[in-house]
Amino acid sequence: MTDDTDDILITGMGVVTPIGGDVETFWSANLEGRSGIVREERMDTTGLPCGWTAGLIPEDVKEKVAADHGKPGRSWGDTLMHAAVEQALTDARLDAQPAAEGPAGLVYARVWPGPTGSDPQDYITHMEELAERYDTIGNDPEAVLRNLRRRNLPLETRDLSAYPREIAERLGTAVLPVRLEATCSGGLRAIAEAARLLRSGRARYAVVSAAVSRNTPYVLSQYGQLMALSRWKGDPAQASMPFDVRRTGMVINESAGALVLETAEHAARRGMTQPHALVGGWGLAVDTTHMTAPRVEMIERVMRTALAEAGADLDEVDTVNAHGTSTRLNDVTEARALHKVFGERMADLPVSAVKSLTGHGSAASGVVETVASALTMCRGVVPPVPTCTEPDPACAVRTSLTPEERPVAAVLKNSFGFGGQYASMLLRRPAAPRPAPRHG
Amino acid sequence: MPSDRADTRPDIVVTGTGVISPAGLGTARLWEAMAAGKTFFDHPGDDGAPASGLPWPTAVVDTSEIGWPAGRSWANASKYANQSARWAVAVALQALERAGITGETEDVRGGTIMAVASSGDELSDVIPQLASKFRHDSRPLAKFLHDEVPDYSYIRGIPSQLGQFVSMASGFRGSNVAAYGEAAAGGTGALALAVRLLETGELDRVLVVGVGAPLTVTGMAAFDQDEPFGTRATTGAGPFDADRSGTLAGQGAAAILLERADVAVGPALARFLGCEVLAAADLPTAAGLAVDAVLADAAAPPAAWWAHGAGSVRLDRVEAETVLPRVGNLPVTGSKGTIGNAFECSALIDTALAVESLDRGELPPVGLLGRPDPGLTGLDPVIGEARPVPPAATVLLTALNQGAQATAAGALLLAAPGEPAARGRTTDHGEAHA
Repeated sequence: MTDDTDDILITGMGVVTPIGGDVETFWSANLEGRSGIVREERMDTTGLPCGWTAGLIPEDVKEKVAADHGKPGRSWGDTLMHAAVEQALTDARLDAQPAAEGPAGLVYARVWPGPTGSDPQDYITHMEELAERYDTIGNDPEAVLRNLRRRNLPLETRDLSAYPREIAERLGTAVLPVRLEATCSGGLRAIAEAARLLRSGRARYAVVSAAVSRNTPYVLSQYGQLMALSRWKGDPAQASMPFDVRRTGMVINESAGALVLETAEHAARRGMTQPHALVGGWGLAVDTTHMTAPRVEMIERVMRTALAEAGADLDEVDTVNAHGTSTRLNDVTEARALHKVFGERMADLPVSAVKSLTGHGSAASGVVETVASALTMCRGVVPPVPTCTEPDPACAVRTSLTPEERPVAAVLKNSFGFGGQYASMLLRRPAAPRPAPRHG
Repeated sequence: MPSDRADTRPDIVVTGTGVISPAGLGTARLWEAMAAGKTFFDHPGDDGAPASGLPWPTAVVDTSEIGWPAGRSWANASKYANQSARWAVAVALQALERAGITGETEDVRGGTIMAVASSGDELSDVIPQLASKFRHDSRPLAKFLHDEVPDYSYIRGIPSQLGQFVSMASGFRGSNVAAYGEAAAGGTGALALAVRLLETGELDRVLVVGVGAPLTVTGMAAFDQDEPFGTRATTGAGPFDADRSGTLAGQGAAAILLERADVAVGPALARFLGCEVLAAADLPTAAGLAVDAVLADAAAPPAAWWAHGAGSVRLDRVEAETVLPRVGNLPVTGSKGTIGNAFECSALIDTALAVESLDRGELPPVGLLGRPDPGLTGLDPVIGEARPVPPAATVLLTALNQGAQATAAGALLLAAPGEPAARGRTTDHGEAHA
């Protein structure tokens, strides 16, 4: 059996996350329930009503990423994206088995290009410089300009146009570039946009990437205003607990993910015979009834659309990779929508939630969690939700504390965001899924 | 570019346009101002120097005419709306009104796309003050910001938040996404994204809205450091002039409503024949590929060219050297000598103006153009007064990203309604006619 030539395949994957700087480490941590969430000790969070934990990329991983992919003038967010993209390109074997001529798609979501959340001192330095300037010259435009012309400009004003050019140079071809933003559904939307580019015939393969590093005092303060962050005071590894009755909010992380998508025809032509996943179909929607609160009907709509577009029956879905943010409202709303769509099947439908271990990576989460979804199918194992030790009866979703081995032919992946953003995607197991790498 | 994609594409039409510019509200007002040879840079003196104290003249939007819809839901939502959101909604309503869409009915086959930069600029004055205040405050920085930063400012700065308001105004609930300008060539990328949503049958109509908000001093300094702004707004400073010295700063907003022709609600104002944005190792390569891509789908060569016309020595040269060898010496015009460069939405403004030109059968002249650059061999700019556009004309539009690192370039092709289709297009859900 082979994949249909019109199919869109995922043939390369890369991640840099709090639980692993590469795909295999990330996947092992998922199965072992190894958390990347730590107490936020890099800055003083005293007095904040929430948000005392963070999903942070380990220092040794950061050092390697910086050494391999950092360069003067490149933001940390872009450095993370380059690291994830390089992994994905290698995984897709694009150097050894080259792509056809013609432009490639490049769809990316870059969250927060300003002072990095990887080093809170960045933001403190930024504030000190602003204070010094304000105390000296105030906000008078002419004086501010004179001041700015004497020094390097703030990070958030740097020219961000280099990334598409750099990827074009790396691929050796022009790219059809899209930098999109759809709040926390942006990663899944980026995958849909790349798949649409391929379906439209404009390109035969595409790179998708997303990165976030925003654990700054400012972002923490703003999510604190919204009361969206975890108020857990115990073991930080337990702070993000999707679908658990004790959940109190999400944990912000820094992370990056990248994928290579290509048409099955293109993959076959270059000898790429073992993809990770097949993009079945997706559903997108926008709600205008509230700026931040999710709604059952909208989640139901995008899940049903994803299934319909993929031509999939409900029974074909073997597991759901949930958005699962660990906020009171998101999880119960997502659960209610799942019950409306799957009905009695919910009792036996495994649900996973990667954010339980990584925290929430905004747009990057959709890409990172698609990697987990693909591995769920290729390896035949649903990852656990190790922090859901007291399942919320109001959610009543079937999570597991241990990995669950079972054949998985299709995963439904959800991503939602502020601003009424909803996305859902059905991913299928390819005819010949990529096997796990052999070690030793 | 793969060559087999044109076979099953549906016809796409422009059914609504809206513009907010320094000339006022509406596409027609700006077009007529261009035709009359007006420019709108901030009250320059005789020497063309700006009045603001900054070295760059700027064409400024008069915000007094821009309102916010009435009603309880809009009043409730207003705390989440910054200035860019207000411009986005106002300009969207222009386009919707032109198409006869009231927005009162939920339409899951409609979507919105925002063409923007980050709109968090409302804090550009606030944060330095807070930073100063923090020096003498005992609270930890995160707690201090939690207490002192105005409520909802984080949400107000999210680009797709603007799109949610446009969804409210339009009733379009099928999709909302923002495309950042750094890879979108003045908003052309947002149009290309819309075309893909329509061509693949995912949606029937997409409202593309761009906002080029007033730049902060820091933002202008950053742009200027990368590629200098023009410092005078007198004749000779305009696009393609021998004495041009840099793009002139502008502001504005624009909305383009694209619909599949077979299910269009609004009247066809123009046929949308093709659109592409590419980035490459260098800008000339990207620009050439973008123009080639849209021309490859055209049934007839273009009869007119609406140029990006940045007014920059480098970009105008790249643009001319890209387009002229491919299409010959077409009459060319551009808007930036009249209203400056509104960056993220400049290509959307130009698209609205090109639609207006097809309707009126004339190309308005290039503002502040006195002596065309003799180095741009073969260039035929419209100077002084409007020039007729031949009947059944197809218009090529081009757009380039600004900046030393930028290599994204876009092109699109428009035709009058009812004119010949692009090669291999379809009229009804995939039934091809060549």
